[in-house]
Amino acid sequence: MKDYQLAWKNIWRNKRRTLITAASVFFAVFFALVMRSFQLGAYDRLFKNVIESYSGYLQLQHIDYFDDPNLDNSFEINQALIDQIRKDPNVTDIVTRLESFALAAAGSHTQGVLVLGIDPPGENKVMNIRNKLVKYKITPDAIEKIKNEQVSDHTKKLLDLFKGEAYSGETRLMIDFGISDSDSAEILPLIRRYASFNNAFLTGKETNDVVIGDGLSEYLKANVGDTIVLMGQGYHGTTAAGRYKVKGIVKLSAPDIDNIIVYLPIESARELYAAPAMATSAVISLKSNDDDDILQTGNRLKNMVSDPMTIKTWQELNALMVNQMEADNRSGMIMIGVLYMVIAFGVFGTVLMMMAERRREFGMLVSIGMQKTKLAKVVSLEMLFIGLLGVAAGVAGSLPIVFYGHFHPLRFTGEFARMYEDYGFEPVMPTMLPDTFYLWQIVVVLIILVIAIIFSSRKIFRMNVINAMRA
Amino acid sequence: MAVVEINNVFKSYHDTEVEVKAINGVTLSFEKGDFAVIVGPSGSGKTTLLNLVGGLDQPTGGEILIAGHRLSELKPSELIDFRMDHVGFVFQSYNLIPVLTAAENVGFIMNLQKWPKEKRMTRTNELLTSVGLADRHKSRPSQLSGGQQQRIAVARALATHPEFILADEPTANLDSKSAESLLDIMEKLNHEEGMTFIFSTHDVRVMKRAHRVITLEDGKIVSDDVRK
Ligand SMILES: Nc1ncnc2c1ncn2[C@@H]1O[C@H](COP(=O)(O)OP(=O)(O)OP(=O)(O)O)[C@@H](O)[C@H]1O
Ligand SMILES: [Mg+2]
Repeated sequence: MKDYQLAWKNIWRNKRRTLITAASVFFAVFFALVMRSFQLGAYDRLFKNVIESYSGYLQLQHIDYFDDPNLDNSFEINQALIDQIRKDPNVTDIVTRLESFALAAAGSHTQGVLVLGIDPPGENKVMNIRNKLVKYKITPDAIEKIKNEQVSDHTKKLLDLFKGEAYSGETRLMIDFGISDSDSAEILPLIRRYASFNNAFLTGKETNDVVIGDGLSEYLKANVGDTIVLMGQGYHGTTAAGRYKVKGIVKLSAPDIDNIIVYLPIESARELYAAPAMATSAVISLKSNDDDDILQTGNRLKNMVSDPMTIKTWQELNALMVNQMEADNRSGMIMIGVLYMVIAFGVFGTVLMMMAERRREFGMLVSIGMQKTKLAKVVSLEMLFIGLLGVAAGVAGSLPIVFYGHFHPLRFTGEFARMYEDYGFEPVMPTMLPDTFYLWQIVVVLIILVIAIIFSSRKIFRMNVINAMRA
Repeated sequence: MAVVEINNVFKSYHDTEVEVKAINGVTLSFEKGDFAVIVGPSGSGKTTLLNLVGGLDQPTGGEILIAGHRLSELKPSELIDFRMDHVGFVFQSYNLIPVLTAAENVGFIMNLQKWPKEKRMTRTNELLTSVGLADRHKSRPSQLSGGQQQRIAVARALATHPEFILADEPTANLDSKSAESLLDIMEKLNHEEGMTFIFSTHDVRVMKRAHRVITLEDGKIVSDDVRK
């Protein structure tokens, strides 16, 4: 009989205790994994939202621009540098932006806005703003028309609830309206018919067209086809002013941007601000957005650019968000830490009980000729078996939830969703697929097991056989 | 040559304020084939003496030799191997590993000594037959009576042909019928295999069966009667 066979038999001598101990490890691992998966998934989602709808993973900036985001801290960008950066193996594209503030006016409404001069074809690949074009809008007019058709009271209530809401796709729409496949046949065509939104994105060739956020359009009461006026300060103190036609409206998931954003082709922006060839940033998109790859790519690019230009990472660009996330992350880790402490005491209790119960047997085994190292090995294997049983069950149990949650993310609706949006979160909560955080749970359990093994082995090595058998 | 030689051995305990002289100058030897019993009042030092002879404990004075080896010269881990190779133990209780079958328990020391499977199984069968439990191969200790468990323990102790078997009050927890049958078996093994047995006991039945009775009192030998 091999040591592991004896160990395996031994763990079933007290079935209930083994199962309870393994179950506690299972619970801890399962809970920690699911919780981490949701937490990390939420961060990931948040970052992706902010990064992909705005900052990008790396940016080329004037060295002072981040601390003083002012048109005077812009830089001149030439094609040679752009080409050089594009050649980096991890860079897929680079798009320049000219960004500044202005006052927007439409009719009697005015609003401070963020003016973003972009390269529309390039931004479509990076930020994919075109995908955010409003497709359906639940206008009072549309509600009226849909209500005139034969729809249920429930749908009518929902229409009122989501009045004014804009949708850039049908997924979100279907969730808000609780449309399942069976009744989509009835309601979706009505929405398509009456709430469709006529919309277009910039091509880059326009000279007097802008695309604005849905929030801003609501505020200014400016619709597609309406005219808005932008006024502000240009490069080196010039006056900037221009009239533009609203060509399209986008719905961005982060409301603080949605409420103030104005897109226009970068050449228009340069003209508005009297800043030819200038850029305030150039967003660099990457093949691999793995933390290490981002860092390495950033370092390579830093060597290509010269003063006053510099490369900023998304962490630097979103420092506040990163800090908040880290604080939240720490509290999550502390919670899991406490959980594992409790589990560690449970495992330890089992070890103590087991050692006490089997004292005489251990004494007998060493008396008849079993080496203490061998005995310690058998007992260690027992603990490993119980621990790994729990870990395996925890991992296995978490996988369906984690995978399901990733591909069918939890989506908040109603007030909860609004609350999320107010904080700039998209109201979905996808889980994060297994990653290094899975390994960490296993490592933590292994550490607990190692401590238990050291403890029990020490007891075995210090055991006096005669005292053990007298007990 | 004597299987066991005990030369002027002392063992005292200082656990409490008073020093307890559990063994107080014992000189004694056992020959191959002995069927000896150590008797004496409670606290006279029987268990202590057997533990010393079995290498489970070290004397505070004097010397013990087993088959010519000085126990005091062995390091702790060597002593464990020495016990595995040279001494068979039968304790009063808790002899067996509860998760193993009777056959696995009998084979345990052969397994520690890494006997090949074939040889181990043959020997196990032979032993189970000779202790009258050939049909209980697969029984767990908890499915066996106290007497049957002790017989398995004897079979295990005997398996690897040790120099001698030590048994500290092996019948203490048995009814008289089981005790008699255990003694029958040990006597038979003593006859047939020439195995040396050294017991301690309070049990008159055991004393009657012994070929040699050594009486201890206050850690000293007061008599040593050879009957055969
Ligand atoms: N570990 C120990 N620490 C202290 N004193 C001990 C220890 N072991 C034995 N003694 C003492 O040594 C003496 C002999 O004890 P031992 O157990 O050898 O007697 P025994 O003859 O086996 O008695 P019994 O018939 O009751 O089993 C007793 O006085 C006992 O209290
Ligand atoms: Mg005793």
